[in-house]
Amino acid sequence: MATNEEIQEHLGEREYEAGFVTDIESETLPPGLSEDVIRHISAIKQEPEWMLDWRLEAYRHWLTMEEPTWAAVDYAPTDYQSISYYSAPKSKDDGPESLDEVDPELLKTYEKLGIPLREQEFLAGVTNVAVDAVFDSVSVATTFKSKLTEAGVIFCPISEAIIEYPELVKQYLGSVVPPKDNFFAALNCAVFTDGSFVYIPKGVRCPMELSTYFRINALNTGQFERTLIIADEGAYVSYLEGCTAPMRDENQLHAAVVELVILADAEVKYATVQNWYPGDENGVGGIYNFVTKRADCRGNRAKVSWTQVETGSAITWKYPSCILQGDDSAGKFFSVAVTTNCQQADTGTKMIHLGKNTKSTIISKGISAGRAQQSYRGLVRMGKNAEHARNYTQCDSLLLGDKCGAHTFPYVEVKNPTATLEHEATTSKIGDDQLFYCQQRGLSEEGAVNMIVNGFCKDVFDELPMEFAVEANRLMEISLEGSVG
Amino acid sequence: MNLVEERRQEALSLFEKVGLPNKRDENWKYTDASRLADLLEIDGSNTAINIEGLGMVDLDAYRMVFINGAFDAAQSSLPDEVNIVSLATLQSSVSDDDSQALAKLFQVSGDEPLFNGLMALNAATASDGAAVCLADNSVLNKPLYILHVSNQNNVIRHGLMLGEHAQAQVIEHFISTAENKALSNCVTALILKNGASLEHSRLQQEGKQQSHIARVEVKQCRDSSYTFHGVELGASLSRTDLVVNLSEQGASCALNGLFVLDGRQHVDHHTRVDHTAPHCTSHENYRTVLDGRSHAVFNGKVVVHEGASKTDSVQSNGNLLLSKHAEIDTKPELEIYNDDVKCAHGATVGQLDDKQLFYLRSRGVSEEAAQELLTFAFADEVLAKMSNTTVRRYIEKAAFAKLPHSEGIEGLLGE
Repeated sequence: MATNEEIQEHLGEREYEAGFVTDIESETLPPGLSEDVIRHISAIKQEPEWMLDWRLEAYRHWLTMEEPTWAAVDYAPTDYQSISYYSAPKSKDDGPESLDEVDPELLKTYEKLGIPLREQEFLAGVTNVAVDAVFDSVSVATTFKSKLTEAGVIFCPISEAIIEYPELVKQYLGSVVPPKDNFFAALNCAVFTDGSFVYIPKGVRCPMELSTYFRINALNTGQFERTLIIADEGAYVSYLEGCTAPMRDENQLHAAVVELVILADAEVKYATVQNWYPGDENGVGGIYNFVTKRADCRGNRAKVSWTQVETGSAITWKYPSCILQGDDSAGKFFSVAVTTNCQQADTGTKMIHLGKNTKSTIISKGISAGRAQQSYRGLVRMGKNAEHARNYTQCDSLLLGDKCGAHTFPYVEVKNPTATLEHEATTSKIGDDQLFYCQQRGLSEEGAVNMIVNGFCKDVFDELPMEFAVEANRLMEISLEGSVG
Repeated sequence: MNLVEERRQEALSLFEKVGLPNKRDENWKYTDASRLADLLEIDGSNTAINIEGLGMVDLDAYRMVFINGAFDAAQSSLPDEVNIVSLATLQSSVSDDDSQALAKLFQVSGDEPLFNGLMALNAATASDGAAVCLADNSVLNKPLYILHVSNQNNVIRHGLMLGEHAQAQVIEHFISTAENKALSNCVTALILKNGASLEHSRLQQEGKQQSHIARVEVKQCRDSSYTFHGVELGASLSRTDLVVNLSEQGASCALNGLFVLDGRQHVDHHTRVDHTAPHCTSHENYRTVLDGRSHAVFNGKVVVHEGASKTDSVQSNGNLLLSKHAEIDTKPELEIYNDDVKCAHGATVGQLDDKQLFYLRSRGVSEEAAQELLTFAFADEVLAKMSNTTVRRYIEKAAFAKLPHSEGIEGLLGE
């Protein structure tokens, strides 16, 4: 079975010959967490002293914190001492030699997603595939890389950035999600091993969707990843993490932190497609995905949008948030979350309006099937000085099956009389009349449900980069397979 | 010791165990109950209050008057044929063997929805209340008006039971005659049997220093219908927990709330509706108008349990902020464990519509008057569902008086 590290390895080797490869060759740490482990991780990464201090401080604070229990999810307590916090990727010789050895279930899924054969081999981690052969990845990637450099965009693993661009990292790392922010963020600060770093200089429009680039590299995987994106004044970037293809990953706990810093007139679009292993139909196994994502619109007229399609993971705990500090800044959140079988998701967003004329939009679509439980938990806060702030929230839930649950917990706090806020939420199942209408016109029941579900999610899919929107549609169909009728 | 006393003892030990709610409790996140601690200590002497001219004097109704938490039979007028007595009277007349039913009224468990220490304290220390039991198929021909007048701490516990297909209208009114600090702690427990129908209004107009803690518990049987109007005008801190259990098929409830606040008033309503049976309906409509440094909290939770198919639930919450320092925290929650439901909720926060203001101004209405009219219209929508016009007029006038610049157009209200 392929692990993410293997994929990283395939690409990393080619892409980051200097910084990345050395990491890969280091050893695996035994399970357990202590200051020594953190020192070790820091040493493997060849990090400067200040970074180690930062990690240790976070770790010491983490020791004083309690794991939060307020989310509407239910899982056995995690033993943080049984996790290995640094593991070198497995050697690629462990991988299957050809697609014939790959789990046929996985292949079926790839096929349905319409992933080309070559790419399938790559995703499944087949050993003898030359990386070059993977849909021209290297040539494309290299072209991209030079184009980015030309524009002045920095895009590299964060471990590399810590060494190469310490000033930028020092200035911004932890400034949006402080190390003491919450239990999982503190843990991440202490033990994160990699992630991406993006810096778009003043006035630069990133010449390509980093999503496109990213898809080829798929490097944004790892157990405790840390992403930092900085859009300087007037800059623009669109970024996509994850992949529609199911990634089999042995790490049970994922606690990522993503920080976006958006200065005046800049715009960041961040899209996520998450399809990690959700466990089997009885809820055994699966990834725990506990993520802290936050964007800080520091300058006037800064804009940010979060788009997420969440179909994987046994448990998702994730609230991409926007702090709208700058006047006229705007935040958007578009989300589709699908939970089936025994999956649980507690997800939503926070919109903190601090500046004047700040705007936010929240569109959240939840689909719950089987025995899954899903919650929307959101906060819209209009501060005292948020003159003429505006929010529109719509969160709809669709229920398929009589054993699933969908819950809504929207917090609204308004301290300014000129602020305007609208919140709407509905929960329903697919109407019998809608199904009848479609079936009467010759669609199968499943086809009709798929069409209705896709229509339900359209507002969000429209926000995704085009090629992902198509895949996201197919992904929905696959996720909901068997939950109809 | 009889059963009732036993229950009250249990409630007291429960309160001693859990104490006052604190901000770590998610249900008390926005309301600081710690300031109630001092009030619990106040020990007032039972002074007589002259209630002449207080309350809704022109209302044609049966009356029950409670002065500082004690039933005042002389000022009350009750029908002979219906079973309405004061709780204290009932308690003293019931034999130990028959006390089982009454004991239920004092039973408090920590597992109840929106449980907090104050409700246990109420069961333990309630001095009196109304005990109303309507026989099957009986209709109370006049509303029952329960007037509470206080100038010190009072703890009241009402129990109402409507038999099958019984109908009634109940108005609870809270006034205080002194401007001192004191705490009212009132629980109203209602049981609606099959097909029963109750319209329940609750008007809270206590003094600006008062704290008012209330809990209304409703258990609804098959095809029963419950309408609640909660109007909050007074008190410095007021908190109401409204808990409705739609436990059998076809039950329906409508919960309406109106807060008109100014100064430093803090009002918090938590509603919880449990749909445990199929084909039940719940409609909720809350409006707040906030001026000064007032702070309103609304938390509406609807839980649709497994098996509660064909649930129809709508919740809406509108908030109008008139001042820079006012604050609203609202949280309309849905918890749904069944797929065959139709649930919606909505919340808005905003200002008066510029277009509507312009329309009125272009027709010669002054700016203040136009604002006033629109504010009033916004608030009045909730009251429009009240069936008793005398009560509605009384509330409208009281609410209107709280709005700034109300002088000019009060006449529009009529008599």
